[in-house]
Amino acid sequence: MPLNNSLIPFKGWVNFGLKTPKNAAIAGYGVYIPRYRLPSVEVARIWRGGEEAPLIKKAVASLDEDITTMAVEAARRAIKMAETKELGAIFVGTETKPYAVKPTSTIVAQALNQHKVLASDLEFACKAGTEALQLILALIGSGMIESGLAIGVDTAQGRPGDDLEFTAASAAAAYILSKRDVGSIAVVEGASSYVSDTTDFWRRAGQQYPRHLSRFTGEPAYFYHIQHAVKNLFDEFGYKPSDFKYAVFHQPNPRFPVEVALRLGFNLEQIKPSLLNPYIGNPYAANSLLGLAVVLDEASPNDLILVCSFGSGAGSDALSIRVLDGVEEKRRKAQNKVRDMIEASVEIDYATYAKLRGKIVA
Amino acid sequence: MAISYWRRRDRYYRLLGNKCTRCNAEYYPPVYICRRCGSESLIDAEMPGTGKILTYTILREVMSGFEGQQPIIIGIVQLDNGVKVLGQIVDTPIDALKIGCKVRTVFRKIREESSAGQIYYGYKFTVLC
Amino acid sequence: MAKVIVASVGYTRVGDHWDKSILDLAVEASKKALKPYPNIRPEVIIVGNMFSSQSSRQEHLGALLASALNLTRTPAFKVEAACASGGVAFNIAYNKIRSGEVSSALVVGVEKMRDLDTPEASLALSMAESAEYTQFIGASFLSLNAMLARLYSETYNVSRDELSAFPVIAHSNAATAEHAQFRKAISVEDVSRSPLVSDPLRLLDCAPVGDGAAAVLLASDAFDEDDGARVDVLSSKISTNIFSVYERDDMLKFDATRDAASKAFSEAGISVEDVDVLEVHDAFSVTAALSVEAMGFSREGEGAKDAAKGIYALRGRYPALTFGGLKGRGHPVGATGIYQIIELWLQLKGRGNANQVKGCRIGVAQNIGGVDTTSVVSVLARR
Repeated sequence: MPLNNSLIPFKGWVNFGLKTPKNAAIAGYGVYIPRYRLPSVEVARIWRGGEEAPLIKKAVASLDEDITTMAVEAARRAIKMAETKELGAIFVGTETKPYAVKPTSTIVAQALNQHKVLASDLEFACKAGTEALQLILALIGSGMIESGLAIGVDTAQGRPGDDLEFTAASAAAAYILSKRDVGSIAVVEGASSYVSDTTDFWRRAGQQYPRHLSRFTGEPAYFYHIQHAVKNLFDEFGYKPSDFKYAVFHQPNPRFPVEVALRLGFNLEQIKPSLLNPYIGNPYAANSLLGLAVVLDEASPNDLILVCSFGSGAGSDALSIRVLDGVEEKRRKAQNKVRDMIEASVEIDYATYAKLRGKIVA
Repeated sequence: MAISYWRRRDRYYRLLGNKCTRCNAEYYPPVYICRRCGSESLIDAEMPGTGKILTYTILREVMSGFEGQQPIIIGIVQLDNGVKVLGQIVDTPIDALKIGCKVRTVFRKIREESSAGQIYYGYKFTVLC
Repeated sequence: MAKVIVASVGYTRVGDHWDKSILDLAVEASKKALKPYPNIRPEVIIVGNMFSSQSSRQEHLGALLASALNLTRTPAFKVEAACASGGVAFNIAYNKIRSGEVSSALVVGVEKMRDLDTPEASLALSMAESAEYTQFIGASFLSLNAMLARLYSETYNVSRDELSAFPVIAHSNAATAEHAQFRKAISVEDVSRSPLVSDPLRLLDCAPVGDGAAAVLLASDAFDEDDGARVDVLSSKISTNIFSVYERDDMLKFDATRDAASKAFSEAGISVEDVDVLEVHDAFSVTAALSVEAMGFSREGEGAKDAAKGIYALRGRYPALTFGGLKGRGHPVGATGIYQIIELWLQLKGRGNANQVKGCRIGVAQNIGGVDTTSVVSVLARR
């Protein structure tokens, strides 16, 4: 039943993976990338004696920004694009809440003047954003709500001097999902998640900075979960890599997404448009949703996009997303491209970064 | 502070002022009685999110509660509906500031009571030109 | 209507009084003012003060002072109108005597500012403005005046050196004023070389933070003074403006001052040309300029330029800030309005010493709370 009006051929019942509702679609998206960029050579200058560093700049939030402010900025852009009047749910996926106890989603709701909403914060390291998106999708599909807002946002911080400090970045990506109509931008055709108890990266309660098992980050964590989630999606829905115009993977560094793409049979053309890590670093829960947004900025109707997130702890959500006709009109009206925000940047030195991110103890 | 902030959060988050139902004059901060026509019939009205700088300053010594944020740029902005609003101007290099610069509102942290206390959010401005 | 006389005055030096509390200061000034006339028991005590609750965790200053002066049973209370607290206290006492309700009054302005560190003092001063819409966003009182200074300079093409003229005049006069906080002359170069505190305002554009207390004993004309030169209060008027400067249509118009001055001058039966000595509220260089314009001493946009031409210097057409003003004498906010009255009294009595304006007969004091939000203009005359 749920797959009857699917855009892809019915492949029979499956006992894993998620049957996504086809009456729900992305109606608008908005991203927020803070203005400041810290080049990784600056981190190397301070902590590595100036040795060569990867050519990465990471997006750094200002001292008056946190995930709440960035979530609101991204959400306002998404709402403007979607032209949505009323929301039924708001989920904020993040691991850098300014309040350990008190929802961010209610502050976002207040700022958007949306009160009749199911609101919650989600945490699953870097994949809370794609989870938020799927939950909104499910609520619309079940008929519980007409439209909802999913946000992935983080002000990721690495301990000063830690490897993570080169890339841990700040950004937000927000998606409005609504009942599918002529204005819809894209529909999620299929979804598949894969999780296991794998402790590659964690932050204990009350601790300021996360810890990680550096050698563990790749094989048993990132590659294992992404490969499983994507393969399951392929098996379930009968996809092959060449069906996709674009592939978007979680990008903790410039290398991993390229390698996992090649392992799964994708080529560089499919993955290149979404590779943002060298320009903004790794904004954790916003990461793969930002990759999707930059692809939606240029995709054409009927293009198929693979998005696969990865969250430490660990798990991956693989989504297949079909672009719809509404994308062109909505983009034209929104006049707000991810690449413009990437370019509108100011480079800062380590001292400024330390001030902006509260690393100077006064 | 926590409660007086809560009371005004829509004012701060959405630049929610008010508007005279008789003569349409708009106000931020909201007024109790219309300054133009004396009417007491006013309704909440969200102010436009864009405007231009009328004057500004770079405050180098901040008040208690804003320590660690200095220097802060403060401006008086004339919104597109003509209403003048006081606000901080952020993400703007000092040498890019000029009277007449176009600005838009952004949602930012205003200050926090302490690392254990409440966080206060509100509007600020950022320069567009 | 009874005539009102400034019978005697008492004041402390403005500055650091680490060893004195707010009450110590108020008592010291009060005793000096009461001393020449031991037979006058003031029928009311009015204290002008802005933020004793912030600086000293002390309110109820009226009864506190009355009790300390052994003047219990005397009606006593504090009035507050930000930096105009002193001027407003004086106005109320003046009107009580004029109406015949009382025949004598002790008016005491006092502020303890130096117990607060700079960010705390800045926060306390910001309470003159809207807590919800000005203080909330981090805009201190200084920053509002700085924005006004930029607008003023841009609108009327006022140069840095022209803006510096009022502080230079203030310090030149303060150099020889015994009660002044800064007894030191400065040059226009000193002003333009001083640190920027809130662009375009520099440190020497701004009145300092200081402790001080000033008291005047007012009496009705039934009171018979023995030393000849009597100082009468001819008028005192309070006016108010739209609360915050950014809510006003024209931010460069000090309408409260304009209104208070025009009413005070009219009631005193004087015109601008009759004024021999002028105490203006020069909390910031730009405030002085906009004040003299609003009162009609300078044309619109000409206040700072006129100061640069020497019109407001001690030997100029309208000698102003004759003991240093807020900038040089100091600005213990609640006391400032009373210091101004005392300085006019010294001038009109001919007790100005090195700062004496020769042959002066009519003096005007203008005391502002907020950015011209409250303004008090009083006219005093030597008889």
